[in-house]
Amino acid sequence: MQTTNQPTFERNTFKKRLTTMLKVDFRRMFTSPFAYIMLGISLVMPVLILVMTTMMDGTVSVNPQTGVEMVIEGFDNVWQVIGTLSSANATGQMSMDMTAMCNINLVFFISSVLVCVFIADDFRSGYAKNLFTVRSKKGDYVISKTLVCFVGSALMIILFFIGAMIGGAIANLPFDITGTSVGGIICCLLCKVLLTSVFTAIFTTMAVVGKQRLWLSLICSLGASMLLFAMVPMISPLDANIVNVILCLAGGALFSVGLGFVSKAILDKTSLV
Amino acid sequence: MNAIEIKGLTKNFGEKQALSGLNMTVPVGAIYGFIGENGSGKSTTEKIICGLIHPSGGTVKLFDRDYKDSDVRAKMGVLIESPGCFPSLTVWNNLMIQANNLGVENAEEEIRRVIKLVRMEGAASNKFKNCSLGMKQRISIAMALMGNPTLLVLDEPINGLDADGMRIMREVLLDVVKDGKCTVLVSSHILGELEKVATHYGIVRGGKMIMEMTADELESNCRTYVAVKSRQNDVTLAILRRHFIRVEEDESGYIRVYDDVKAEDVVTLLFSNGILVNEVRTDKIGLEEFYIDLMNKKEGSGYANY
Repeated sequence: MQTTNQPTFERNTFKKRLTTMLKVDFRRMFTSPFAYIMLGISLVMPVLILVMTTMMDGTVSVNPQTGVEMVIEGFDNVWQVIGTLSSANATGQMSMDMTAMCNINLVFFISSVLVCVFIADDFRSGYAKNLFTVRSKKGDYVISKTLVCFVGSALMIILFFIGAMIGGAIANLPFDITGTSVGGIICCLLCKVLLTSVFTAIFTTMAVVGKQRLWLSLICSLGASMLLFAMVPMISPLDANIVNVILCLAGGALFSVGLGFVSKAILDKTSLV
Repeated sequence: MNAIEIKGLTKNFGEKQALSGLNMTVPVGAIYGFIGENGSGKSTTEKIICGLIHPSGGTVKLFDRDYKDSDVRAKMGVLIESPGCFPSLTVWNNLMIQANNLGVENAEEEIRRVIKLVRMEGAASNKFKNCSLGMKQRISIAMALMGNPTLLVLDEPINGLDADGMRIMREVLLDVVKDGKCTVLVSSHILGELEKVATHYGIVRGGKMIMEMTADELESNCRTYVAVKSRQNDVTLAILRRHFIRVEEDESGYIRVYDDVKAEDVVTLLFSNGILVNEVRTDKIGLEEFYIDLMNKKEGSGYANY
């Protein structure tokens, strides 16, 4: 005959919950080959952009139907792939040429794949069942995912920056800092890193909406980030200063907290399997 | 204190009502066999207990606390439907993720312990996607056992296991409850296996609990019978039906007499009627037959009087 003991339960503090959750998510993110593929893409992409656009610089292409000639313009300066000067943004016109489209801001889009795949994997593998059974506080999950994905996305930005330096050197482009300063470039990079928290918060919310439906998460993420994409060059110009950094920090914090609550509410109110 | 106490649980999926006022009581330290047909609401109940879906109504308490209580939930082990492992990671890494998730101290030691329990020592370095169905099932059981859970919820844990796997599963279940610190809720369609370990049973049908009983109650509820086989089964059946109240022929050709009667009385009666009995035995119906009988009864025809 078995004897029965009344079980006692240890207090599971927020600190303990979050620490274990972060440990799991960091381990998962950085043992996954997919994360390294995304980081590799971020490093290689600017090298390819700078080398190829420099090779094509000045090439004239003719539209065979209209006969209109178009001159392909490459980058004049390595820093152009990192950002634009605030004076260029002040005109209010959005340039649609190749140099304006192929720059560091692409990383904000690409990071949506990293975030959505990372979160969708939890639901697709069935791991979410194990996870949410032992973790009733959905806030821990949202905080942990947002933080880990922020680190992943920030690394992508930094690797793109490093890639731009390498690509610039290979393409023999000038590292001329006319119109800005080293401090301005550092502030610009810092702004971009901080802005990833805005996008990560959006992508996390969309991934939580989509759950195992990766396609839905990706479509929603890209759609939602398009709305904010235009503001990125304005808020993080190449000649950024401490005010820009503070603005990006505040924006990142506001979006992370606000959308974090939305994500938590979605997880609380919807079925997890 | 009960490990699980459910009152009036309802769950609707749109128009469809999956649970309609289910009540359930699982005492601490029990192995509770949760039985029911496909679609009767077993998995839905288990998912609600695990906090994976939200009930439409009713109350669920775990160890006298709300089922959402994070302290209680941190001490649960679960196996519902799929193992919940990442296919591209090794078995060891999947278990490590679960150990970290539970905040287990000495994670490596704990992983070695659970791997040994399910006899998977040789497969720790295999990628999960390369494991066979039975191996995956054993790994998912190991994951559920990680961190010495206070409440284990297992949905069809025996599916895909070979005979050795089933024996291991039995040993594991009996081992985890032996000191009364763990309670197990296990659903399975393999009733013969369940009968070997369960201390309590709950039978669910159409989203309602139709019967809860202990293993002892099942034992006393299960009728004994005398089974006979002869070359003239039709005549034998007719004779026995004239003398006894509850006589049935089973699928294997035995005629069963459920009345309180001795085997020799049945043989004597048949012999006096010129019937030569080929085989005779006294037996008791098991959980499987008890369950099938119960399911064959129409709803509302008095399950409680069974």
